[in-house]
Amino acid sequence: MQLASERLLRGSAVSFFTAPLATGLVGFALLSGLIPSAEAIGARNIWFVLHVALSVLGLALMALAFIAAALYLLQFRELKARRFGQVFQLFPPLERLDQLNRFALVAGFPALTLGVLLALGYGAQFSGGLHVAKAQVVWGIFTWVVLGWAVWVRVVRHWAGRRAALASIAGFGAVLLVYVALKLTQPGAERFL
Amino acid sequence: MTGQTEIGGGIKVVGVNHHTAPLDVRERFAHGAHEVPRALARVMAAGASGGVLLSTCNRTEFYLVADDEPALEAVWSLLGERLPVAPAGGAREYGYIARDRDAVRHLYRVSAGLDSVILGESQIQGQVREAWEASRAQAGPVLHRLFQSALYVGSRVRTETGLGMGTASAASAGVAVAGKIFGDLAGRTALILGAGDMAELAATCLSDQGVQITLVANRTQERARAIAERLGARAVSLDEAWPHFATTDIALCSTAAPHAVVTWERVGTVIGGGARRGRPLCILDLAVPRDVDPALAQLENVFLYDVDDLQTVAAQATARRRDEIPAAERIVEEETDLFWAWYGGLGVVPAIKELRQRMDDLRAAELERALRHLGHLSPEDRARVEQLSQTLLNKFLHQPTIAIKTAAEEGRGYGLLEALRRLFGMEPPA
Repeated sequence: MQLASERLLRGSAVSFFTAPLATGLVGFALLSGLIPSAEAIGARNIWFVLHVALSVLGLALMALAFIAAALYLLQFRELKARRFGQVFQLFPPLERLDQLNRFALVAGFPALTLGVLLALGYGAQFSGGLHVAKAQVVWGIFTWVVLGWAVWVRVVRHWAGRRAALASIAGFGAVLLVYVALKLTQPGAERFL
Repeated sequence: MTGQTEIGGGIKVVGVNHHTAPLDVRERFAHGAHEVPRALARVMAAGASGGVLLSTCNRTEFYLVADDEPALEAVWSLLGERLPVAPAGGAREYGYIARDRDAVRHLYRVSAGLDSVILGESQIQGQVREAWEASRAQAGPVLHRLFQSALYVGSRVRTETGLGMGTASAASAGVAVAGKIFGDLAGRTALILGAGDMAELAATCLSDQGVQITLVANRTQERARAIAERLGARAVSLDEAWPHFATTDIALCSTAAPHAVVTWERVGTVIGGGARRGRPLCILDLAVPRDVDPALAQLENVFLYDVDDLQTVAAQATARRRDEIPAAERIVEEETDLFWAWYGGLGVVPAIKELRQRMDDLRAAELERALRHLGHLSPEDRARVEQLSQTLLNKFLHQPTIAIKTAAEEGRGYGLLEALRRLFGMEPPA
């Protein structure tokens, strides 16, 4: 995620957000008991590993899109308000943030979709069929739809700038919201989101 | 700013600048070149013997050689009439007065760029020259010399110090702001409204960054054509420019119009319409008075910046120049001393000569009257008495002469000369 942003932004303020986010997520995972289990992973097949890898990649890119959108909105606000302080000085230009947001969404959503499809396929093949009534499946599809909407308005409806940034934030916000909701209401289900 | 010597006619500066008045007030006080002679004539009719009006986007200053307060009052009155609603204290609430040596130092600092929003910017020197030239008929010998030396001081500061290093103009700030919106400016398009020096400078800055200047629109086509040709653009009238707001990335406005020309009625629909698809439009309004209706900034895709905004950005780039301030101030002080010595010494030699002549006439008359009653004296004794009168006169006048010459060298001669004239009933110089 950091490499992608550095590549696109040629040295940017994105790391101010990605670094704490990565640290926070890892810390949250450890505190929640999500400790990697070599035995569990070893017992899975390639479908499962691909599902996890693509889902993580997709979500990481969505997080990057979210950060780019947040930076965009902050820089946008400063530029509109004609304030020329630290945000103006340090944050990347609007159009570059917009490009990063678009790249992350367009690259991240297919990866995430593929990850979801692999999960469905894996479930049908190895876990005794699809359990569409399960909360994590229902809410997982819901977040996929919201993220898909953010990508759709961006690519098909040609949204750009502030509206696209808000849509992107709504998409990733849905992921975070559902994760926390599942964590609180059905502990354990959020692992499979 | 306080005066130092205030006896009779002295050099004064009366005005407002960016430290004391907001943009909308400065806009109202700004004088076009065509307004200068009439404004100066009015102030001179109130008692000033010389005047130069320096009016830029950041300052409107009357440099005067004036005897008394009515000339200063005339300036405040003239400026006050330009305010729709004057504050209780009139226009003076926005301004300042500097007198004599302080006034000289002030102009030197202005010319050197020490008093500019963008520290060390060089544009002001051209503006000082233009002001001097526009007021040439009314300046008078003292202000001629003052403005001539101010230009020299400006050049000296820029040559001998690093105060002018780097790019920190409003034009370059405009490029920086546009860069924060678009990122890489290469391949972007810009249209230019106005064909003055500022428009040309800013357009060149954009062009240097790879921005394609598509149009130069101006009220008069001749100058627009010259700039357009140089930048590879097309010269059009202002009315032809409005539809192009639908496609351009940057609009640079710097006309000399006395009111907003880029209004909601003219471009609001064009910018907010479907043709732009919400693409950002950066409008750089470098004109004073402003060319662009501020209401256009309400459109989500419009990023509008006026001179004050750009100067704020540019000011941030001047941090490096601050280290050069002491060296520049030293030059200003040196040159102020030199001017003040010249100014103070202007009337010293003829005044001393006149004083000595008067005293000598008195001595000769009194000597002649005394000798008429001393007819018994031998020619040798008469010569001794005459020698005595001459010696006494020289001794009496020695100390005042030295004092006046010293005061003149120290820049305090003007006040002492006035005192001399009053004490001994001498005529003021023509």
